[in-house]
Parts: sequence; C-alpha cells; structure tokens
Amino acid sequence: MDSFSFLILSAIGLAIIFGMMGVINLAHGEFIMLGAYITTLSCLAGVPIPIAIILGSIGVGIFGFIVDKLIIRHLYGRPQDSVVATWGISLIMGQGMLILMGPSLQGPSTPLGSFSVGGINYSLYRLILTIIACLLVVLLYWVFMHTKFGLRSRATMQNEEIARSLGTNTSQMYTLTFVVGSMFAGLTGGLFSFTMTIGPTFGTGFLMESFVTVIVGGANPLIGTVMSGGTLGIVHSALSYIFGTFIGRVGLLVAAIIFIRLWPTGFSGLLEKKILRVKKTNG
Amino acid sequence: MRNYKKSLFYVVFLIIVSSILTACGDDGSSKAEGDTIKLGVLEDRSGDFALVGIQKSHAVELAVEEINDNGGLLGKQIEIVAPDTQSDDKRFQEMARKLILKDKVDVIMGAFSSASREAIRPIMEENKMLYFYNNQYEGGVASKYTFPTGAVPEHQVMTVMEYMIENYGSNVYTIAADYNFGQITADWVRMAAEDLGGKIVGEEFIPLGESQFNSSINKIQKAKPDFLIVLLTGEKQSSFYEQWNTQGIKDLPMATTINMAQQYEHIRSEAPALAHMHVAAPFMEEMDTPEAKEFVEKFRKKFPDDDYVGMEAEAQYTGVNLWAKAVEQAGTTDVDKVIAELENGLSWEAPSGKVTIDPKSHHAVKDVYLFYADENHKISTLYKWDQVEPFWLHEEKGIDLTQDSPNQQYTPID
Amino acid sequence: MDNLKNFKKIDSEKITMLVLCIVFLLFPLIASAYDVLNMSYFFSMVFLSMSLWLIWGLTGIFSFGQTAFFGVGAYAYAMISMNFNNNTMTIVALVGALVIAWILALLLGYFMFYGGVNDVFVGLITLCVTLVMATFLAQSAGSQWKIGSVLLGGDNGINNIPPLSIEIGSIQFSLVGTYQYYFIILVLIGFYLFLRKMQHGKMGYSFVAIRENRERSQLLGYNISLLQTLSFSFGGVLAAFSGVLYVTWGGYISPSAMGISAAALPVVLVAAAGRNNLSGVMIFTVLYYFLSQKLSVSGSEYALVILGFILIMVILIVPKGIVVTIFNALDRLFSSRRRRDANDTASDTKQAGTY
Repeated sequence: MDSFSFLILSAIGLAIIFGMMGVINLAHGEFIMLGAYITTLSCLAGVPIPIAIILGSIGVGIFGFIVDKLIIRHLYGRPQDSVVATWGISLIMGQGMLILMGPSLQGPSTPLGSFSVGGINYSLYRLILTIIACLLVVLLYWVFMHTKFGLRSRATMQNEEIARSLGTNTSQMYTLTFVVGSMFAGLTGGLFSFTMTIGPTFGTGFLMESFVTVIVGGANPLIGTVMSGGTLGIVHSALSYIFGTFIGRVGLLVAAIIFIRLWPTGFSGLLEKKILRVKKTNG
Repeated sequence: MRNYKKSLFYVVFLIIVSSILTACGDDGSSKAEGDTIKLGVLEDRSGDFALVGIQKSHAVELAVEEINDNGGLLGKQIEIVAPDTQSDDKRFQEMARKLILKDKVDVIMGAFSSASREAIRPIMEENKMLYFYNNQYEGGVASKYTFPTGAVPEHQVMTVMEYMIENYGSNVYTIAADYNFGQITADWVRMAAEDLGGKIVGEEFIPLGESQFNSSINKIQKAKPDFLIVLLTGEKQSSFYEQWNTQGIKDLPMATTINMAQQYEHIRSEAPALAHMHVAAPFMEEMDTPEAKEFVEKFRKKFPDDDYVGMEAEAQYTGVNLWAKAVEQAGTTDVDKVIAELENGLSWEAPSGKVTIDPKSHHAVKDVYLFYADENHKISTLYKWDQVEPFWLHEEKGIDLTQDSPNQQYTPID
Repeated sequence: MDNLKNFKKIDSEKITMLVLCIVFLLFPLIASAYDVLNMSYFFSMVFLSMSLWLIWGLTGIFSFGQTAFFGVGAYAYAMISMNFNNNTMTIVALVGALVIAWILALLLGYFMFYGGVNDVFVGLITLCVTLVMATFLAQSAGSQWKIGSVLLGGDNGINNIPPLSIEIGSIQFSLVGTYQYYFIILVLIGFYLFLRKMQHGKMGYSFVAIRENRERSQLLGYNISLLQTLSFSFGGVLAAFSGVLYVTWGGYISPSAMGISAAALPVVLVAAAGRNNLSGVMIFTVLYYFLSQKLSVSGSEYALVILGFILIMVILIVPKGIVVTIFNALDRLFSSRRRRDANDTASDTKQAGTY
C-alpha cells in the first residue's frame, strides 16, 4: 500500500505532462525537490503543516508557469527537444539550490506519530499519504471527466488539430497542463518532505520510479498511472518484503519490461485502445 | 533569408558567450613552474556528494592558508589546484590526468566515494604520483603511492561492537548500503560479532539511492534485536532515520561507523530521529578536547556558512599537514623521498589527537572516540580508545608496503 | 546514381569534416601528450553518440539506455582481457566484447520489435535494462561475484584493465598515448564514412522510411521488425565499442557509467545536436565534452548552471542543432545553392526504394 502511494504520488505530475503534451520532463525530480524546500522553509517559518504543503504546491505551480512561458512554450510539438531543455533546467535547479541553500536543510520530523498492529508499528502519516494518493486520483478523475477543462484536455490529447479547429486554445491548454503537472510535483515534494531528509538531490530519488510508472501506464495520465502504480506497487512491496530491497527494485524494473512487452502501448493502451490515441513522441 | 541571418547571428552570439564563459573559467594554472608547490585537490563540490566534498575542500584551504601564513613549505608557497569533480567517476579520471600531466602537481588529495578513489588510483600508480585519500572507508587498499589516512574498520567496527555487545546484549541487526562499503563493513560486523560472542539476527542491504524504508523497518521490528547497526550512506538513505523515528522501535540503541560523524544526520534531521545513536570515530565537531575546539573555531571563522565540520574535514586537514611535515623533513617534494619520510613512521598532532602513518599499510594509527547522541541529539563522548592500529592488511594479508606493493584492494569477503 | 550525385555535391559540411579530419590527424604533432590523451577520451565518447544517431536519428528508435551496451562492452572487455592476462589477447577481448554486445542487442531487439514495442516504450525498456544492470553490478562486491578469475568489484568497479595491444611479427606494442589516439581516430573516420555511405544506400533509406512512417513502410513491403532489430543491434555494437575504448583509455569501469544520469546524457547530446545529421552529432559531442570539462576545471560552483543554461539556449535558438545551422549558414554565404533542408527528410523519403 505504501509503495503504491509512493509510485502514484511521484508519477502523477509527470504523467499529466507526459500524457497531455508528450513532453518527458527530466526536471521532474527537481520540481519535487523545489516543492519540498518551499514546504520545509514555510514550515520552519511557523506555517501549519497542511498550509505549508499547499504553499509548496502553489509555489512550484508558479515556477512551472514561469518555466513554461520562458522555455517550454517554444517547444510545444517538439518533445525530443524538450528533453534537452528540461535536462538543462534540472541541472540549473539542482546546482542553483546547492548554491542558494547549501548542501543540507533540517526539516521537521514526520507528524502524527504511529499506530501499532500486531506488535509492528506503522506510521500514521504514511497511511494518510495513501489516502491522499487515492483522493488525488478521484479528484483527477472528476476534473478530467466532469469539467470543461477535462473535456478540452481530453480533446487536445486525442487530436490536437481537430481540437484547435473546434475552438480549443490548445496552447493555453498546454500551459495549464504544465502548471497543473508542476503543482502535483510540488505537492508530492511537500508531502514527502516530512519523511525524508532535504537536500538539492532530494528529487532524484523519485525520478526512476516516476518514469517507470508513467511510461508503463501509457498515455492516459489517469487510468494508466493508477493501473501501473497499483500493479508495480504490489510487485515492488511484495518482493521487497519477501526477498529484500534489492530484489524489490530489480523486480520493479523487470516487471516494467515484461508489462511493456505484453502490452506495447502501456496500460492505458490496453484499456482504452478505442478512446485514446497514443501520442507519438518521435514525431 | 532574414530568418537565416537571424539564426546565424544567434549562433555567433552563442559561440561568443560560451567562449567568454569558458575563458573566464580557465585561469589559475598559468603561474610559472617552480616558484610554488602545487597541491592538487579532487573533491565533489557539486552533485550527490557535495555535502562532504565542500567541507573537505574547505579543510584543504584552511590547512594551506595556515602553512602559507607560516612561511610556506621549503620557503615556497603552496598553490591549490582544485577542479570540481561533480560526483562523476569519469570526471575524476579526466581531472586526475590533467593535474598530473598538465598542471604537474606535487601531490594529489581527494575523492570521497570509494568508486572515485578506485577510478583514479591506477592513474596515480601509472604516473608515480603521491596520493592521499583522507576519508573514512571500507579498508583494504594496499598501494605504494596511496595513503588512506582516514578511519577504517579496525578503528571503527571492532571498537563500537565491543562496546555495544558489552552494554546492550548480543543480538545484532545490520542494515547496510548495498555496495562495497556497506557489504565489507557488514562483514566486519559479522567477524566482530563472532569474536565477541554476538549473534547476527538479521541483515539487510539497501540499494544506493533508495529512500523508502517501510518494509526494512518492519523486518527489523520482527527480528527484535538488542541493537541495530546502521551502515547507510548518501543523502537518500539518510531518510531512514526520519522513517525509523515514526515507525521504528522506540529507544532501541543504534550504532554506526559513518552517520553523524560524516554526514551530520543528527543536525539534518530533527530530534529525536537519531536518539541513542553511537558512532566510533576519530572526530566530530562537538568533540570536547582543546585541540578539537581550536580546529573547529578556526574552521568556523574562515567558513561561517558551513553546516558542519565533520570527521572527513578533519582527516583532510590532517592529511595536508602530514604531507607538509613529510616534505619539510625530506627537504624536497620528490615523490619517492616524501614516501620514504612518510614510511618512517611520521606522526602529527592532529585536532583529533596524535596521528601516525603505519609504514606497512600506509594507513593511520589514531585515537578513536565513542560518541553518543541523546534524545535531543546532544553529543557526548562515552569512551576513548588510544592509538588504534590498522592491523588487518599486515596481519591477515601479509602486506608490507615498504617491501613490495600489490596495488590492489583486499576485502575480507574472500 | 543517387550516390554519385550525393558525393559530387560539395558543401560546407563535407569541407568541414575534411578539414577537421586533417587537423585531428596532425593533432599529435602540435599538441601536448595530455591534450592527445584528452582528445582520445572525447573521441571514444563520440561513438556512443553515433550509436544513438544510428538508431534514433536515422531509424527513429528512441533508446534511453544506450549506456547498457556501453557497459556491456566495457565489462566484457575487462572480463575477457583480464582473464587471459596476456597482452596479445586484448584484440580477442575487443572482438569478444563486441560480439557479446551484438548478441545481446539482437536478443533485446528481437524481444522488443517482434513484440510490437515502439516509440517511447522502447526507451523505457532500454532504460530499465541499463538500470537493472547498474543495480545488480553495484551490489556485486562479494567474492561470489566473479567471472573466471576476475571479480566484478561492485560499485567500486574494476580497475587496472589492460589497454589494447597489437602484435605484428615480433614487434608488439600497446595502443596507449598517441598510438591509441591514432587507432581511435582512424576507426572513427572509418565508421563515419561507412555510416554516411550506408545512410545514402538502400539500407539507410529503408531505415529512414521506418522513421518517417512505420505503417506505410510495412504496407510497401518492408519487414520493419527485422530492420529495426538490425539497426538496433548495430547501434549496440557501436555503443559497446565506445565502452571498450573508454576502458582501454582509463583502465577503469564502474556501474555509475550505466546510471540514470549517464543514460540521459547521450540522448540530450544527440537531441541538442540535431539528431538527423551525423556530422553535427559528432562535432557537438566533442564540443560538449570539451566545454563541460573546461567548466569543471574552473572549479566554479556555477559550472553546472552555465552548462544547463547553454543547453537551453541551444535548443531554443537553434532547434536544428548548432552545427547544422552553421553548416547551412556557411552554404548560404559561399554559394547560391538552394538551402539545404537540415532534416534531409523530404529528399530521403522520396528516394527510399523498395527493400
């Protein structure tokens, strides 16, 4: 369950950006890191924890907006070029944070304490993380299925040209998507900042897991990510519990390879072949 | 057409900007040969290992400034040549070659991770370059040109295990990073437990870069050890303590050889994440001897923004001074003559106490302290072992570097 | 016929490559031993970019894990050469390493392309493969992990790997320093010419056809799975060759060469260089390594920030790749010839025949 929430939360921001725009955001880890810093700093300044987390999310959202206006906007429709740009962004953010804030920062400890089942302690906060992950999925489902934004974004995802000709401002949609994706990354950073030590390389710990989850999920940020996060989470936590963390990690990667081989367009391709068209990233 | 001119303009602009930037960065190595002694430093000031690399670079600067203010070495000033190795093994190789072949330095100090040390060690041997690895590590390097002056398992594992088993009981659980340092040190823990009548009730190895410890913590709770040995390293793995704090067994004694003293987890995590942690190390910032206090004060004065002055900073500072003393005694920077001086059993009064080079293994004999963190992460000294010797290479593997050098790293796993 | 036409066309790209070729052949005469050694390192990394150019730029297979084959080549060479512990056997080790990488790439290619895996999903699979290898090797410090008599060495890696050596008659010499440099550059020129020729041959056009439109090429009778596998396996060999050159240069290999940031770098380089032009990819790779090394030498804490900034500027200002843009600009300056399309796409697709 814990592994599930980690995978979902780390992947969801990346999934939205990848699913909608076809952009592989190599700076995703650094976005998460920024969220963690903002949350931690506001927490140290005396802001209550839930508000600090929301601040982190909004802060990264604003940052994402700036990055989009300055850089990403020029790269719409050129996903392979955005790989270069986001790599550059990640270098700048990682090193910039080191210069600004030094190599470490003391964060507050995990709130809420623990509860005990059968002699084993579990962290209450991590249980809440799992609940938040589920809530986010529901929220996302609602946004995508029941709002105008969702409708337009699904339209853009399926066929950008037709969506545009039918009056959707796709460029605006992309900006909005990027900001929402960044906000989710910031939220993830804020949520996990209480359970991990903070530093400029905070985000790299999320990168591999989020990539694997997103791509195994396929193009649909919602169903794909939930499915793959769920499946891979089960594989990972079962294997780590029985055989140890090393087998857990290798198992996660091998499972990803096997899933892709069986369903070459990811989980969402498997499920929604008719509804959604997989975006080509090499166009 | 216009579009074309525009992009051509941009290209020219880009080239000019980048060449200016490059030119700005490319200075320092222009001084004439012979009027300074060159000290090459390879430390990671950016990337994953910057946490310790920055401290170590600062320690070199401090030591060199002091030597230069006291009239330099052999009447010459010491010049530091310090590229940034960016936590990248390939970069270490490029830069080691540059320091030797282009800058023609007289000695090289540096490297944090064992992998980067192993990447450059053959280059040192090939070019007969004196190399100081002033860092705590898993032990076992036997090479004529390499002087690993930091703490090794003889200093840290045997000592801490002796104390822990005596005071807390015999059931040991080890959680270690899944690479050379963690595995080899865990072997030492196993050997020490056997010798001292302890019992390993569990052992788990965590891949580097892993930051989620849920299932590991559950396993530790089930095994119910008397104490826990933590050999985790790196920024991600230090998240273990946060998670242990909320979920782990309250008040279980823990011991380590690297945490706190090296990467100051007790400062980086809020109390009581590292409550009841023991570490056997030559030095910590909180150490309570006049020499240590003086060193910390000097360091703090020169670098007020640094988060911590850890054992590696002290080792680096000591390494520079050991080398300087050897050069002074040899009267030259000639590598063979300096090595001969070092192999004479050279010693120096370091901030952590007397440090002596063991001629046969090139490692250091030093005092080791047992530090303890309480619920508020306040550090106290529980015990002191005087002049612990790095005996293993000589006694178990028969190494005598004054006679012959195998140029390799030995491991106890054999 | 097309080939003839192509070879006759003199443009700045060809002139530049020729000039560079001559300059670098004469380089050891004017440069210091250190510069030659350094340049050998840059050139050995060029092969990795070339490999990605072949499979991504030409065939359109997005691989995020070419470092997997880089690592396989490096480790295989280390294993074979150190087990024989005989300098004359290093050539065998080289060939062995390439064959092993080729077989692995064939198997992986078969696994993926005959299963219908494409696009970004290929990238994910190769990334997972390289990460599995890096994770496995990082924990292989124990003495149970060895092949023959050589330990895998865990995260500390393997060092003291012997350089290549050649025996002609009774003369035996090691390819180090200038010899190594000449070996690398001659092979580099050889591969460059070969790939250029292949690009404008039947094989090259069929690769391009697959890149442009898989369904259409299939309808036209191409066996796309076979062609993709072929291209992928040859790319694997090139990457492995780069790995072998790297270990013979530095005598050292460790799992970090296969980590996630090492894996991303070739992708970034090839994309920033403009992935369709081989000369551009090669020149940009050398430029990048040169620049990043200079910045690292400076020891400035802003090195990575500047590097990131430059990459962003490059991709924003000259999306076709900085080198290709310069080529085009030069062409325009020196002749009135029709502006060459940086993509070569239009002409390539037209000329693609049946295969």
